[in-house]
Amino acid sequence: MVAALGRWANRKARDLSYALGFFFQVISETVLFMRRKQVAFRVLVLQILFTGVEAMGIVSLVALSIGAVIIVEGGTILPRFGQTSLLYSILIVVITRELGPILTAFIIIARSGTAIATELGNMVVSHEIEAYMSVGINPISYLVVPRVLGVTISMMALTVYFNFFGLVGSFLVSQLVNPVPFGEYFRELLATITPTDILSTLLKSFLFGVITSVVATFQGFKVSLSVTEIPRAAIKAVGQGFVLCFIANALITVISYV
Amino acid sequence: MSEPPLIELREVTVTSGGYDALAEASASFPEGRSTVIMGPSGCGKSTLLKVAAGLVPPDRGRVLYSGEDLFGLSARRMHALRAASGFVFQDGALWENKSVFENLALPLQIHASSLARTDVEKKVARMLERGGLADSANLRPAQLSAGERKIVSFLRALMNEPSLVYLDEPTVSIDHVAAEKIGLMIRELKARGCSIVAVTHDSRLASTLADRMVVLSAGRVLAEGEFDAVKSNGDPRVRGILSQVLGEIASFDTDLLELLDTHEN
Repeated sequence: MVAALGRWANRKARDLSYALGFFFQVISETVLFMRRKQVAFRVLVLQILFTGVEAMGIVSLVALSIGAVIIVEGGTILPRFGQTSLLYSILIVVITRELGPILTAFIIIARSGTAIATELGNMVVSHEIEAYMSVGINPISYLVVPRVLGVTISMMALTVYFNFFGLVGSFLVSQLVNPVPFGEYFRELLATITPTDILSTLLKSFLFGVITSVVATFQGFKVSLSVTEIPRAAIKAVGQGFVLCFIANALITVISYV
Repeated sequence: MSEPPLIELREVTVTSGGYDALAEASASFPEGRSTVIMGPSGCGKSTLLKVAAGLVPPDRGRVLYSGEDLFGLSARRMHALRAASGFVFQDGALWENKSVFENLALPLQIHASSLARTDVEKKVARMLERGGLADSANLRPAQLSAGERKIVSFLRALMNEPSLVYLDEPTVSIDHVAAEKIGLMIRELKARGCSIVAVTHDSRLASTLADRMVVLSAGRVLAEGEFDAVKSNGDPRVRGILSQVLGEIASFDTDLLELLDTHEN
């Protein structure tokens, strides 16, 4: 029993040190990436295209739906308590501060996190990673860093996009339920939003981008021998990505507003 | 004082999945010579090759490159070593998300970044012509046959005109024509004094290639040395493995090379 516990602790400690080593190598290679003449620049562009541009459709749809739901629910319930003016605060709190970053992260984890873990896992099994090493390419520099940068840039851009669409969506639906003049609606929103809200959203989206991409690439690289490990890597990329994003979200909210 | 071997493994152990893929294996690969690694399937030949190439770090033991610790080389020295070496993987290991052209161009873009795009295109076209794949530049690896994939993998390893080449079963599981093409290119490499370390079960290739031989069994080096000395090794385990690997040929008490050459002619 004690021996088994010791082995488990030993394995966990090894895994943790491997993960930390991976993370620090990604950071150091990211710094170097900016300074080098990189053939990996194309990988970065493709990653932004896949993670950012191709996800715009689904992000628009989700943001519009959320905005619509808030305006309908808020427009129905708040007047009963004489608190109609709270609607703008609720829009900012729910869309900008909380749901915008976290739902965008969910969408990217589900789309790109799984894709990255699966792709890298396949590359490990088919020895493509070793082939990169054999020609003198550092896989962290060429495969991981562009994905981390691409996902993080896309996450930040899509979060801003989500917020914009969520607030626009709520305005469009409000025209059907309880029409508010365009100028008044956005003036109230701008009066409600604070610099802390904007900074908190940007910080969250940055951290979610880093978490999603590092977890997905790490899980992809953890595949060692068999293709049966690849679905497990994808599942872990999603599970760990969600959990870490939730924790980071709670921490930033507490730090920003308590 | 004699020159150190180009690559030297000293009591290297590699553990994989709870067992020793290599167990205190020692071998040396001199510059300008061709060494063939032989042994039964699953005995650790590919692992030994990858350790010697610096692709798999050993759990214990040391790997030396010109007397220096291979896994302790500075980034610049490692980059220079990669530019001067090529590796042909058993399954090709082509980059599936790139075209054939991109597979061949990338090593050039890394090590000869000053080359103009047109020069890269010309060199890739020349190499594809050499491999008989002039019309395949825009294809994806998935669109190639097994033999064509192996040829592309071989050409990729040669893009930077390496002086050290690692070959992992370069002619296995491919058709006769592709095997002939690869065999010819390997003979050209040998003729120009390239250092070659090869894992092969192909007795014809071994006969034309080997100056030296390493015999492996269950992750251990049983014999290592000049080809003639190893093939006449009296150890029944070595003779058993050579017999098994080379088929019936080595079991005859005749000169292996002569016999193989006769087969070739």
